[in-house]
Amino acid sequence: MRSVKTLATAAEAGRHQREWFAGLRRRVAAGEPFALLNADVPHEIFRTMDIPYAVSQWWASLVAAKQRSGHYLELVRRRGYPDYSEQYNSVTLGSAFDPEPEAAPWGGLPKPDIVVGDATGDITRKVFDIWGHEPGVTFYPLESAAENEVPANWWELMPHRWEQAVGPARLDLLTAELDNLVRFLETTTGRRFSESRFRAVMALVNEQEEWNRKTRDLIARTRPAPLGVVDSIPSVMLPQWHRGTEWARDIARRFYEEVRDRVDAGRAACPDERARLMWIGRGLWYDMGFYQRFQEEYGAVFVWSMYLAIAADGYVRYGDDPMRALAARFAAFGDQLYTPPWSGEWYVKEARLHGIDGVVHLVSDDPRGSYFTARALEAAGFPVIEIHADNVDARTFDDEVVKRIAQWLENVVLA
Amino acid sequence: MPTALAALEEAYTRRGAPPAAPTGDRTLVVGYVGADVPVELLTAAGVRAVRLTGDPDSGSAPGDRYLGRGVDPAASSVLTRLLAGSFGGLDRVVVSHDCEASLRLFYALRELRRVEPGTGLPEVYLVDILHLPHRTTALYNRRRIGEFAARLEAWTGRPLDVAGAVAAHDERRRLLAAVAELRRAVPARLTGRQFLAVANAALPVDEHIALLERLLAEAGQLGEHPGRRVFLSGSDHDTPHVYEAVESEGYVIVGEDHSFGELFLREPVGAGGLDALAEHYHHGGPTAHRATVSERAAHAARAVRHCRAELFVAYSRIGDEAPAWDFPAQRAALDIPAVLLERQEYGRADLTALRKEHPCAV
Repeated sequence: MRSVKTLATAAEAGRHQREWFAGLRRRVAAGEPFALLNADVPHEIFRTMDIPYAVSQWWASLVAAKQRSGHYLELVRRRGYPDYSEQYNSVTLGSAFDPEPEAAPWGGLPKPDIVVGDATGDITRKVFDIWGHEPGVTFYPLESAAENEVPANWWELMPHRWEQAVGPARLDLLTAELDNLVRFLETTTGRRFSESRFRAVMALVNEQEEWNRKTRDLIARTRPAPLGVVDSIPSVMLPQWHRGTEWARDIARRFYEEVRDRVDAGRAACPDERARLMWIGRGLWYDMGFYQRFQEEYGAVFVWSMYLAIAADGYVRYGDDPMRALAARFAAFGDQLYTPPWSGEWYVKEARLHGIDGVVHLVSDDPRGSYFTARALEAAGFPVIEIHADNVDARTFDDEVVKRIAQWLENVVLA
Repeated sequence: MPTALAALEEAYTRRGAPPAAPTGDRTLVVGYVGADVPVELLTAAGVRAVRLTGDPDSGSAPGDRYLGRGVDPAASSVLTRLLAGSFGGLDRVVVSHDCEASLRLFYALRELRRVEPGTGLPEVYLVDILHLPHRTTALYNRRRIGEFAARLEAWTGRPLDVAGAVAAHDERRRLLAAVAELRRAVPARLTGRQFLAVANAALPVDEHIALLERLLAEAGQLGEHPGRRVFLSGSDHDTPHVYEAVESEGYVIVGEDHSFGELFLREPVGAGGLDALAEHYHHGGPTAHRATVSERAAHAARAVRHCRAELFVAYSRIGDEAPAWDFPAQRAALDIPAVLLERQEYGRADLTALRKEHPCAV
């Protein structure tokens, strides 16, 4: 079943994304540099320097939504690389090997001049490095560092006390890497880095994420939920890839206002709401209809995904030193979602805030730490069902999952 | 008296167990995981150190439960054995960030101590050595090495003898490199299985050095192993299972590029204390998990020539996919046949592809 979006801001974000991408292709065709970035690297540098960029995972989600991920994984396989490994990045890598790039969604991803990825895990650096061997492509890697001891309440510390949350070693490292990245980009693209422009970009990002925080809080306290994740994900994530622009800040505000208007009007995603569900894991891009499949029969609404919640809690950073604040946004970004104790404690906080009745946990091979997430939620009294699949590789999805969840709703959540 | 080789092989059977200590000895026992733990500092602190290894023949359900799918099962096995107390009474566990599985093991141990203290796991410490070839990473590593040294001094209450420890470990590296030459001889004077045992014998550094010296003195008594010469690339091998499986088919493994083998014997630390140690571990490898495909391919070409291998076998375990990404560039860089054994189970080697494409006359 196809997903049905009802929010004007979701439609507007989708429209803007298409127009932006067409404009991106024109800019690249006219000779401007183009960067392809991993989701968890500081896009704000590129925004400040007006270097066009796209996000690897966004492109993979688009390809998956068009049911084309299998094609690109096959291209990866034909080069001799594994097609079962870190598909979220390798689907996009497959586009570099496409003999007919113009046949790809939206006319195809332009060939990047620069790819930037962090050295998370064992594979990400390899994927981007392989990309860097394509003619005309340069790979700029960033480290992925870890810390011995961290305070659990990161979401309370991050806006102002990020130094305490992340720790100085990781911040010193990433700040230095970003200073070097700026010089690298100045040298290779000829673009200038304006400190005042950078401060303005950072301020816009904080404003945007503060609006998302208000939206998150409003959805959390409203019964029945004014919208489900099919509307909230595009409304927050498409602007997220444009963060640091006035458009992104303004649509984040309009997203809030539209949700507020719905709440005031008493409109709900599912008026007969009987169960509020939390989706933990990346979006199931090849089957967004999945999230609305349990509303009619069970009154079960996916009211939570990480996308709005991490926008609300995971990005805001204030401080006088913008480069260090930017480093604080990303030096431990993945830890917020996948590393205990941060991940589990945060999911429990969010489940309580939203009045969650049940948690559907997508467990992929790639982002790990799932046991401790489920354990924390169950220990706090939230029922959890785990499903195993990759979020862009439809070959890994078992259709029996829908039946399993239906039984779980009947026997556990609604019993 | 047994030969030195027999003594080293016997000591290898005790891998994963702390070195024996006199009754009443209260010396701190530290288990460590991963190729990037600077073992010189453990020696410098005077602790009894043991590299923790898994066991493919015993179950790993508890470790699998906590670490989940997608993690190298060798790490799950180590966690299972830690939970079962198989390593004896460890006072501390030190983990490096040499691969994703090690990091995930660290996080699991840290969290289990927090939320399930009944597991009785020892205090765990992460040594976060990173590997991008840049000054920014070098400065970070130096800071982390310094922090680890300070933590060891806090644990033991005494200053570290870094210079003495580095000298001892460099001597062990020098001797192991000489032993590796015996395996590289044509015909090989040691099998891969034997070299793995010699390199990973569970002995204090000084005892290990003494036996290595004796092994080199006894080199003339070693047998000859004329099998088809294989270079084994890819996943770590913390047990001899895969070596035994490959060599039982008539091959002899004359070189490898994982952290339990010859990969880390190339360069001494030399003088310079913590600065030199930080640089040594920064530039260690190139391992499948931290190096680029180009670095791995260039290393494979050099190493294959050096050990005069006739066949290149890349082995990639389930949950340890980095070697499979390296393989296309490695194959292109080589002038000998190459085969990839991918998605292999821990401690097992499905040699069907090897037998089919590169049969070995036993």
